[in-house]
Amino acid sequence: MPMKRRQAIQSLVGIPAVAAMPLPAAADATTPRVAVETPKTPVSVADAVAGGLPRFFSAEELAALGRLAEILLPAHGVAPGAGQVGVAEFLDFLVSQSPPKRAALYRDGLAKLNAEARRRYGKTFADLTAEQAEPVLQPLREPWTYHGPSDPFARFLAAAKEDVFTATVNSREWAAAMSRRVRSAGGLGAYWYPIED
Amino acid sequence: MKSDHEVLIIGSGASGGMVAHELTRKGIKCLMLDAGPSVDFDRHRTLKHVYDLPYRGFGRPGRFPHVTQATEFNANVWADETQNPYTYDPADPYYWVRVRLVGGKTLFWGRASWRLSDYEFRGKDHDGFGDNWPVRYQDLAPYYDRVEPMFRVSGRKEGLPQLPDGIFLEDNSPDSQAVERFVASARRMRIPTTKQRRATGELASSVNLLLPEALATGNLTIVSNAIAREITTDRSTGLANGVHFVDRRSKQDYWVGARVVVVGASCLESTRLLLNSGLANSSGALGHYLFDQIYVKNIVTCIVPEARGGRPPRGLTGGGGYVVRFRNLETREKKFLRGYSFDFGSGGTPHPRYFPLYGEALQKELADTAGAAFGMTCMGEVLPRYENHVRINKDVTDAWGIPVLHIQQKYGENEYEMAKDARSVAEELCRGAGFEVLASHAQMVPPGESIHELGACRMGDNPRTSVLNQFQQTHDIRNLFVVDGSSFVSGGCQNPTLTILALAMRSSEYLAEQMRTRAI
Repeated sequence: MPMKRRQAIQSLVGIPAVAAMPLPAAADATTPRVAVETPKTPVSVADAVAGGLPRFFSAEELAALGRLAEILLPAHGVAPGAGQVGVAEFLDFLVSQSPPKRAALYRDGLAKLNAEARRRYGKTFADLTAEQAEPVLQPLREPWTYHGPSDPFARFLAAAKEDVFTATVNSREWAAAMSRRVRSAGGLGAYWYPIED
Repeated sequence: MKSDHEVLIIGSGASGGMVAHELTRKGIKCLMLDAGPSVDFDRHRTLKHVYDLPYRGFGRPGRFPHVTQATEFNANVWADETQNPYTYDPADPYYWVRVRLVGGKTLFWGRASWRLSDYEFRGKDHDGFGDNWPVRYQDLAPYYDRVEPMFRVSGRKEGLPQLPDGIFLEDNSPDSQAVERFVASARRMRIPTTKQRRATGELASSVNLLLPEALATGNLTIVSNAIAREITTDRSTGLANGVHFVDRRSKQDYWVGARVVVVGASCLESTRLLLNSGLANSSGALGHYLFDQIYVKNIVTCIVPEARGGRPPRGLTGGGGYVVRFRNLETREKKFLRGYSFDFGSGGTPHPRYFPLYGEALQKELADTAGAAFGMTCMGEVLPRYENHVRINKDVTDAWGIPVLHIQQKYGENEYEMAKDARSVAEELCRGAGFEVLASHAQMVPPGESIHELGACRMGDNPRTSVLNQFQQTHDIRNLFVVDGSSFVSGGCQNPTLTILALAMRSSEYLAEQMRTRAI
């Protein structure tokens, strides 16, 4: 086994481990001490100060996803809607990191959203009102089943509904708005660092 | 030898921890190897908000295709799937959930602590299927009696033969009205219920309840990051004489000797180690009779109608309990053998997926049903079958060059029929309580996902059909023991950890006595 750093230093200076420990009883109480605590510098995460830069979906796909998110989870009372918490940009990132199956589900689903909007109204999904979107989103009115719908477009809508919901309630903005009303807002949890040694 | 140990224990979880606890207090020096590092709760764990995590709580996509329990908060505690691969037939996926840390899965287990009964130990006598255990309930009862206080198990005594009572911290907490109504509905259907039985305390793990006392005797040394590659034997005697292991970080190989080798590396890892060592398989049963328990998660999701409106009054909702096995005790079902149980709980908000709504309508419904949910999960017995097995896949090795397991387990007609029955009973129980059934299903999670994998190295009186005797000693090699869940002959529907602990304690006593008399 390689020697640990502290052990190595101790062996170099030839003192036993216990002697290396501070001995408070022996120290003169009036002697100023050197601070032994090292500073812990508070830092923030990128998401707190900047918006995500979408790189995966095309502009038209992203616009459709943003509109879909707004319709699926609009602002409600003091709770912000999906459109206000950057859900489309976040999902662009998440889907870009996901296995190909999820990426295809989203790409094909967004294409179908726009195709349906064009067929019915001659415009993209991003330009639809919530009322106009209703027949397009009809599959979301079907009762829940364990395996979900077999139709890929219906599967996309079901996935988007869950993902938009999670991405919204797990956002910083939602937590800030809801922390007084919902105890679990902000999802405070025990996070485990990588455990290596 | 650099170390003066006599017994080498592989694994530091429930079974390995218990063996160390029992042997060291009898003055036997033990060396314990664990494949993973040691956890420092202060250093490795902190509080974070979900919005400060890089994937906003979704977790890194694709990191854990087989660990549905992994979240972005706890992702770093599960064994890495790329470093620790395994294979299966794509038609029969197996979800192998592993923790490779000192303390093993006892660091994070659900703590449910139920005794098995003679409906399990003498299962064959009862319905003719499978095999009886080489122990009866009365053999194990004294050990359950000792394990429960160690793990501070809370519960309520019921006097039910299929779920023996234990030495509990008595749970006399009042039930909410929703739970009372559910219990009354069950009573009308002659189905017994009880409080949960759980190990209590801030932590209920090998690392706080077993290993510290063992270490305090001065008779235990634990080596972390030591991955066992192969158990070695003495050519002249055929006895186990040590273990080859590899350091997880440096990949340096080592060998250490021992008078006795005790394997408690988890059901499938212990079996893999024996198979890779080519030992203890004169019966041909090693690796076979793998089973677990069926789980139908959220078999039913309900709403307590009186709790609608967003703020259920105090005492109306909350709490939960356990539906005790009731099938195939006095009567016999036509479509399946054995039985199942349910966990049930009141409170919380139903998941949005269950409502065929979106937008404003969905938000209104979620607000209206906040705190009003009632849910049940089914756990059922899986029949141990020879064809459900693991074998070594020589074509695939892990990050340390050790051949991996190929796992072949699938559920049969008995399990499917049981799940269907459980669904209809769950719905009936909830309707009888006056709850609105929002969703129900009978889809079992894939084999393995319950993290209750059992068998594959089973006990038995007959050395031609089993690997271990009643003291978890291999029939073939008298100084080689396998003390974890792989030794189970059948599993009932009760969570297995309490029985793993009791068996390991019993086997430790036997082993210590055998060593004292020099029989080993």
